[in-house]
Amino acid sequence: MDVAVEVARSSYGDLVVDDPREFRVHGSIYTDPRIFEEEMQRIFERTWVYVGHESELPAPGDYKTVLVGRQPLILSRHEDGRIYALYNRCRHRGAVVCREERGHSNFFRCRYHNWVYANNGALIGMAQASGYPEDLDRSRYGLVPAARLESYRGLLFVNLSPRGPSLAEHLEPVRKYVDYWFGRSPSERIQVILPPHRYEYPGNWKLQAENGFDGYHGNYVHLSWQRVLQLSRESTVEEVQQYRQEGCVRGLRNGHGLLERPGSLNPASSWTARMMHRYPEYAEAMRRRFDDAQLVEISARRNILVFPNLYLFDTHIRVIVPKAVDRTEVQLYVYALEDVPEAINRSRFRGHERFYGPAGFGAPDDIEVFTEMQTGLRATGDPWNLLNRGQHRERVVDGEVIGHTTDEAPQRSFYREWKRVMSEA
Amino acid sequence: MLTVDEAERFLVAEARLLDERRFDEWEALFTEDAVYWVPMDPDRDPADTVSIIYDDRKRLHERVYRLTRTPVLDQNPPSRTVRFVANVEVESRDGAGEHRVRCNQLIAEMRPGGPGQAGLNSPRWLAARCEYRLRPVDGGWRIAFKKVVLLDADQAQYNLSFIP
Repeated sequence: MDVAVEVARSSYGDLVVDDPREFRVHGSIYTDPRIFEEEMQRIFERTWVYVGHESELPAPGDYKTVLVGRQPLILSRHEDGRIYALYNRCRHRGAVVCREERGHSNFFRCRYHNWVYANNGALIGMAQASGYPEDLDRSRYGLVPAARLESYRGLLFVNLSPRGPSLAEHLEPVRKYVDYWFGRSPSERIQVILPPHRYEYPGNWKLQAENGFDGYHGNYVHLSWQRVLQLSRESTVEEVQQYRQEGCVRGLRNGHGLLERPGSLNPASSWTARMMHRYPEYAEAMRRRFDDAQLVEISARRNILVFPNLYLFDTHIRVIVPKAVDRTEVQLYVYALEDVPEAINRSRFRGHERFYGPAGFGAPDDIEVFTEMQTGLRATGDPWNLLNRGQHRERVVDGEVIGHTTDEAPQRSFYREWKRVMSEA
Repeated sequence: MLTVDEAERFLVAEARLLDERRFDEWEALFTEDAVYWVPMDPDRDPADTVSIIYDDRKRLHERVYRLTRTPVLDQNPPSRTVRFVANVEVESRDGAGEHRVRCNQLIAEMRPGGPGQAGLNSPRWLAARCEYRLRPVDGGWRIAFKKVVLLDADQAQYNLSFIP
């Protein structure tokens, strides 16, 4: 048995070939249900996984339920003001104690035999308690907390394993970009707007992970979108295609990565500068908080992947929820920037709706390609996918692999981490 | 005065335009100040939250333009739809002006393709409660407001770009 497991483990590592000229991944990582099961155990149930933002649970008693890998958990804000991540499983006979997606409650109750738990998981009581000894130690039978729950500036991450790096260590390579992302709010705070956009596609979760910072597909998959922008005289197809050549991609350590368009203080060249130009009170608040160099960084537009399941976009927080090897849900939590004019957020919401969601003018084209890939990947004549674009021209600066905006450096970082986690002892 | 029969005829004709992909004619049914709304949560103000679709007339035109005159991937191959309109109710304050019309719709949708293609070849069914405001214009009726509340509006959806 142990021997078989060892063989399997070493072969997972072989599915990503970190060749200096021909980085490639094996198609079975998208199609093999056994690899999916292993991913759930090794990646989603053993590393830091994004589960929500604190603003989703503003008051004591607020809760939401989530899947971490395949496991149901409750995120719950207790009367003490703290958020708890609890396994959604009654300690008596295993039924869930909460079935709703989100809500507000003073307690969680198992409907089978009325075992009742507080918002921090403590067992409060059960039906016909006289059937248990009077000195029963109830503290042993609370809802089990996840091994680790940590917040970075309100972004909540769960790790079901007590071992391995801290959240701070995991986020270190991407932290400054996350900080810039918050910086479009002069108080560096966001408020998540519910409900999220949700879409589901018949394809593997990594197809979405690979796509969010892919700067190569835009002129082809989103030509339709570019034509809509041209119709509305916002920009010509040529202008958008030129813009899509600007900036860079960054492959970061720990599997993170991003696509970046250059920042600018010129209202014609960046959204942040344009909003500052249009709304003097916003400009004033931003200038009070940040100097020019910081404003340039903040105004750069980035799609940031935090390994393995979180994307930070300019309009939304994107969460990848794997459901099966060939079925994935994606949740797009649009957020308001705090302390900016209301008109700015409303225009961000309308802009988001226009491109994203199941009936947007852009996202459904991406989803369509994911389904095309899922079908094509069943053809195994040559089972390898190439992720070698730009390997010959990338450069390494301060541990970051920087490439042309259309190159696959961040995808390579993602799969290096995938390979490491999947072949770890 | 709009009778239930007249309202039903109007809604069935609208459904036919969509089923036959006559999107330009469908767009022409809407008034210049029209709103087409497919919410995730119909109880929230669409201005302060995010919807599946929240089109003013300009965006509705973009939607039709995208479907008919640009190289869309997600509607190539295009959706086939068969729409059923039922449970029509008409409400009016005074028999004149805008009428509120409610109905239920069932939309069967499928995109055809080659063997084994993920996402194609399987019909899916969307059920919706709909609300319209129909306004008398030049002796006929135009849509000033259309709201489509899908049964599973708050659940994960596969692409809905065919116009639900």
